[in-house]
Amino acid sequence: MRIMEELSVMEKLEILTDAAKYDVACTSSGTDRAGDGSGIGNCVKAGLCHSFAADGRCISLLKILFTNECIFDCKYCLNRRSNDVPRTSFTPEEVCELTIEFYRRNYIEGLFLSSGVLHSPDYTMELIYSALYKLRYEKRFQGYIHVKAIPGASLELVRRVGYLADRMSVNLEFATAEGLKKLAPHKTRKNILAPMRMVQNGVTQNRYEIQSYRGAPRFVPAGQSTQMIIGATPETDYEILHVAESLYKKFDLKRVFYSAFVHLNDDRELPARTGEGPPLLREHRLYQADWLLRYYHFEASEILSEKEPNFNVLFDPKCNWALRHLEQFPVEVNRAGYEMLLRVPGLGYRSAQRIVRARRFGMLDFADLKKMGVVLKRAMYFLTCNGRMMYPTKLEEDYIARNLLNTGQKLPEGADGMTYRQMSLFDDVRFGGGFHEENLCVQG
Amino acid sequence: MKRIYVCRDEVTGLLSALYDAWRGVVVDGVPECGIRFRGCIEQELFCEYTEVEESEKKARAVERLILRNLGWYAYKLIYQAALSTDALKGDAILGAMLEARKIPDSRRIMDHLGNAQVEKVFELSRNVGDEVHRWLQFLRFGELENGIMFSRFEPKNRVLTCVAPHFADRFCLENWMIYDETHQEYVVHEAGKQWVLVTGEELNEELAGRYSDGERMFRELWHRFTDSIAIEERRNPGCQMGHLPLWYRKNMVEFLSV
Ligand code: SF4
Repeated sequence: MRIMEELSVMEKLEILTDAAKYDVACTSSGTDRAGDGSGIGNCVKAGLCHSFAADGRCISLLKILFTNECIFDCKYCLNRRSNDVPRTSFTPEEVCELTIEFYRRNYIEGLFLSSGVLHSPDYTMELIYSALYKLRYEKRFQGYIHVKAIPGASLELVRRVGYLADRMSVNLEFATAEGLKKLAPHKTRKNILAPMRMVQNGVTQNRYEIQSYRGAPRFVPAGQSTQMIIGATPETDYEILHVAESLYKKFDLKRVFYSAFVHLNDDRELPARTGEGPPLLREHRLYQADWLLRYYHFEASEILSEKEPNFNVLFDPKCNWALRHLEQFPVEVNRAGYEMLLRVPGLGYRSAQRIVRARRFGMLDFADLKKMGVVLKRAMYFLTCNGRMMYPTKLEEDYIARNLLNTGQKLPEGADGMTYRQMSLFDDVRFGGGFHEENLCVQG
Repeated sequence: MKRIYVCRDEVTGLLSALYDAWRGVVVDGVPECGIRFRGCIEQELFCEYTEVEESEKKARAVERLILRNLGWYAYKLIYQAALSTDALKGDAILGAMLEARKIPDSRRIMDHLGNAQVEKVFELSRNVGDEVHRWLQFLRFGELENGIMFSRFEPKNRVLTCVAPHFADRFCLENWMIYDETHQEYVVHEAGKQWVLVTGEELNEELAGRYSDGERMFRELWHRFTDSIAIEERRNPGCQMGHLPLWYRKNMVEFLSV
């Protein structure tokens, strides 16, 4: 192992940022906390992105590893012990200085601190604890902190760190235990789920403490998140989404992040390189479906099924659902319940809320919807106002599918002249990389 | 004949004009009133123009009127709309206030989006709100030689007073200053005190250009960080541009050469 002595902070920052960048974090769905006047910082629940990197992903936190030394050997990871890469560690003091100096220039919303496993999980967790303690109590930093729990660390240590952080996460890594065993031989499902459960219980208990006495310290107020790597193991989208759903339901997770697998190591346990790049469209569809779970009252089993286990390339999950359930459309704008409005392709929850509020003042027609800023490009095939559609439209799969495609979704070669049933067979598994879309940001 | 009230394009001016126009319609029964800003008036035929006598008193009275009858939510939207660059924002706000008299629950006025003027106030306010949000994200501070954290930006709408409270809370123990180059005004915040808005004073460019010794290093560190954090295999400048249009980047450290 090459441990670099005497690196400058500049060099360390480069190495430890490069090593941390595959982890996804986002300050949204976070927590609101005003400053108490004694230090620096506050938190904004909606989250703030402070910049965007050349890959289009938002930058909101100083995302670094404490150290990239690691005794584990996860096949997909740059820092695995079998890789020959320069190794270095920050000191707690350096982490504090970078965080504070970036923060007061409004470069960042806070710190995202992860780490390789140095000596042992407990040893590493102690280091993280001392850096965060210094930041919170000596530097009086009240901004956002997201910290990783190291699988295998003692739960007591995880608990102590939880009182210093806003959000914690333990990466599930893969939807199935087999995937984990194969690609992360030093991690176990048990080591991952135990801290997750501990944090969940801690948050519940803390809620009670806060109610009982004022000034009780807050435990992980922004909740916990996790991450799964997409495309390194053979799980289907259905399996992944299903796992995400149960994490939301059974572990009260705030967010599940999906990270398209990037080929960093050559290893026979990893899928062969295809030259197609990371499966970005698949990742994107997972985020769309995840939105449907969290904000649109969908169940995973409505979006995908064992029979149809992968996302469609051409249609986003909501469109796809609507095309398969045309019997529930068209929906009458002036009467439909909020939950049904949410299911109309092209209608976001903000538009749906606005419609529900505005229709109290009288009947709405399409012109009113436009005035209210509701985008009808796709929604018009599924809506009526006072019993009328915007244009004479056939409520027929192929017809609507074709028109939806004309509104900008690109057609893969050979899809011309197909019926919807044929087009729906284009699932993401058969269309790897080469996908770019404007909105890959995972906010929300 | 339509009566048009002419005022300065800032909050007190606009609120005073609203005061006069409201009285024009409600008390004097003028059938149609409008509000225009000095310096950007397109003369219309068959209109009578009157200069507004601006005062804090009128402004406060209108604020009270709005708060009492339309509630806090509408007040917030109207205040934001008043900061917009739109030349006809006065008409929209007046229109919304008058419309509120016709509905059973005037506090619901901002839900009445079927009305064009209400919808416009909503739209303007959303536009201003979006810009505020963007600047909370993209504003950058630099440490000057004298220790003051200094920031400059060129907003489209007059958002400085909406941006300031966020930083006053966040950086309560810092001395900082934000300069709005478009409208040439600043907010100054002294450690531990309330922020103040300063208008009509020129920026001391010489002082504002002298950065502290540490400043250069942290800019470079930030540069390195933003370069390293991007995943090469996912490179996507189009997406980056969509989220962060060029005009926001002018004072953003990571897009300037060190
Ligand atoms: S534990 Fe695994 S994923 Fe984490 S740094 Fe070590 S090798 Fe990488």
